Amino acid sequence: MTSGPWKFLASLKLGLGLLILIIILSIIGTLIPQGQAPEFYRQHLRDFSGLILALDFDHLYRSPLFLSLIFLLLLNLLFCSWLRLPAKFRRLRIRDESLLASGQPPAERRDRARLERWLSEDLLQLAAAFKKKGYRVRTTGNEDKKIFLARKSRPGLFGPELVHLGLMIIIAGGLISALFSQRISVALTEGQTEKIPGQTFSLRLDRFTTEYYPDGSVKDWKSLVSVLENGQVKLQKTIEVNHPLKYRRLGFFQMSYGQDWDRTELGLEISLPGVGTRIVNLKAGETREAGDNLMVKAPGFIPDFAVDEAGRAFSRSPEPANPAAMVEIMAGGNQVFVGWVFSRHPEISRYQRSTLPGMKVNLKSFSAPPFSVLEAAYDPGASLVWSGSLLLVLGLLISFYLPYREVRICQRTGQPPLYLVYTRKNPAAFRREVDQLLGLTGQKGSKDKTDE
Amino acid sequence: MNEFSLLLLAFIIYLLTMLTGFLFFFRTGNRMRRISYYLGLAGFVLHSLSLVRRTVESGQAPFTTMYESVSFLAWSCVLAVIIFDRKFRLEKTAPYLWLVVLALMALASSPALPKTYNPLVPALQSYWLWLHVSVTLLGEAFLAVAFVASLLYLLTPDKSHRPANEARREKLDLLAYRAVAVGFPLFTLGALVFGMIWASRAWGRYWGWDPKEVWSLITWLFYALYLHTRLVHGWKGRKSALIAVLGFLAALFTFFGVNYFLSGLHSYV
Ligand code: HEM
Repeated sequence: MTSGPWKFLASLKLGLGLLILIIILSIIGTLIPQGQAPEFYRQHLRDFSGLILALDFDHLYRSPLFLSLIFLLLLNLLFCSWLRLPAKFRRLRIRDESLLASGQPPAERRDRARLERWLSEDLLQLAAAFKKKGYRVRTTGNEDKKIFLARKSRPGLFGPELVHLGLMIIIAGGLISALFSQRISVALTEGQTEKIPGQTFSLRLDRFTTEYYPDGSVKDWKSLVSVLENGQVKLQKTIEVNHPLKYRRLGFFQMSYGQDWDRTELGLEISLPGVGTRIVNLKAGETREAGDNLMVKAPGFIPDFAVDEAGRAFSRSPEPANPAAMVEIMAGGNQVFVGWVFSRHPEISRYQRSTLPGMKVNLKSFSAPPFSVLEAAYDPGASLVWSGSLLLVLGLLISFYLPYREVRICQRTGQPPLYLVYTRKNPAAFRREVDQLLGLTGQKGSKDKTDE
Repeated sequence: MNEFSLLLLAFIIYLLTMLTGFLFFFRTGNRMRRISYYLGLAGFVLHSLSLVRRTVESGQAPFTTMYESVSFLAWSCVLAVIIFDRKFRLEKTAPYLWLVVLALMALASSPALPKTYNPLVPALQSYWLWLHVSVTLLGEAFLAVAFVASLLYLLTPDKSHRPANEARREKLDLLAYRAVAVGFPLFTLGALVFGMIWASRAWGRYWGWDPKEVWSLITWLFYALYLHTRLVHGWKGRKSALIAVLGFLAALFTFFGVNYFLSGLHSYV
């Protein structure tokens, strides 16, 4: 695994290249609107639409290109860590034999120096000084070589490995989520029971409430639901945003709410000069007798009335921002009134026709049964992501705050001692600390300044 | 004193802190440094009181509107500066950091950011709001320190012009690294991990490639790039500083830009 292509797959060069490519693609993905219909790109991004659609950049983060980069990153991390682990373990368990083996100790760049003076007498003292700083000290020797080894924070050696392992687990979890997670939206009105597809249980909405702030914006949605299995209530719980229900391997989340406008209850106020005023309650789509030989029909209701270019009425939103009902009134078989009546604007009669002068119809009240939109989510990758995240954060803390430090002093008979310092973190500061411990610098307690 | 008077007072004291810091350039000795340090501390206390007042009065986390978030980010920067000053003696770098704090304070106090309370939409009502935003902004404050240090590095003429500058450049380089070493883990925990946990509780999915999510990932990747190019290629100095600057620009875009230029689930504030 140390030949050409493998080496490249394990190299940091590839890793850095991948990171850069992933950054670039991610940025592109935030610039191109995602998840639109092909028509959208042809209309708005004419020159690029061919490229966008060919590369699947309309859903860039699930495109083969992006996913293969992520997968390559996973492989890169795996190989990189794998190749580096043996050396790390060797360092963790330095053997006396290897310390005393003839030849030079393994070379690290930029971290060796000759001591200008002998240390033979005060090795004990040196050991004590290092121990006081939290180092573990080992000394060993034979007839032509004496070795002094002081080490600290050995777990720190594996900080980056922990980070990368966490990262690999997160990526694996993410790929599993992308492949296997499922989401089903369930809309329930109060009292309604719905079988959850693919599951043995049903969900019943017992009560649904929307709470508002004084300014009218939504404060909370609460769905009291029962889980039914074979007709028996297994569990009852209130689901709120941020307080999902977990059952079996599914999570149920409060996503939004709506009102079933097809079942709106209308309250119409009909006044006829000389006859009087009456209130008629009926459901949208119903016909009702209203006395005096009048038949009232409400063929339609629109919560947010607007008219398109072709003159057709439509709802701008599902919110009751401009509620309007289509009303038709018959008197003795003849249509005497037809048109839209507006709850907020009773004065508008532009969309009405009446054959009885002075007849007035008002939309006094309307109420539709609310429904709660819950989302059932199954995500087998999530637990991997959580454990990976834990390792990642732990690894970061270890990498940055428990840096491994190692000092070796190797003294051959007849030669000035060689001293080797090994660390991957802030070598300059470490050198200063060690120099101080070795008594190479005069001043004590010189603070490690970042500025002059 | 109400929240805004406290904030204004903190603003003025931060200004004095910066000025004494710059004065220190022309004077040797520790006096100016110490005055500047205690001034900064006093401003920090007043600023904290302002945040506490707002929290108590609104009854919700002090980072739910743009004004609150910017003020909290400024506060976090002050905290980062004070901690780093104590630990590593920022000296000539400190006033430039205060300049960033002042810019944030000016933005927070400006009329462009409305000071009203917004009732929280259902998704924001969670203790994860506290954890996610506070840890993220704290992390970004340290990344801001790295940003300033790296900018100063890039602006300090190199040794071919002034050999005397080399020591200063090296210290700036180290300072930037140390700030990233604090900011990166905090940002990872706050923005990415806590963010994923919260999203999974609120929406049932931990990651949705929402623009704000993507941009925090981009920010994070920049700093991963920073660490690795340094560590393994031994990049230091100019290239390293450039990546730290780009990383922070990405963080700024995540914080301000995404809400204004891109749309998504996170555009609450
Ligand atoms: C987003 C992706 C990555 C993150 C967040 C990450 C994180 C880290 C961190 C925090 C460190 C320790 C840095 C330090 O001590 O200053 C590190 C070290 C390292 N990383 Fe990564 N890494 C990532 C991707 C990669 C990739 C793709 C490679 C590819 C080969 C890689 C190779 C290394 C190596 C060789 C080290 C040094 C290990 C040592 O000091 O023993 N990393 N990484």
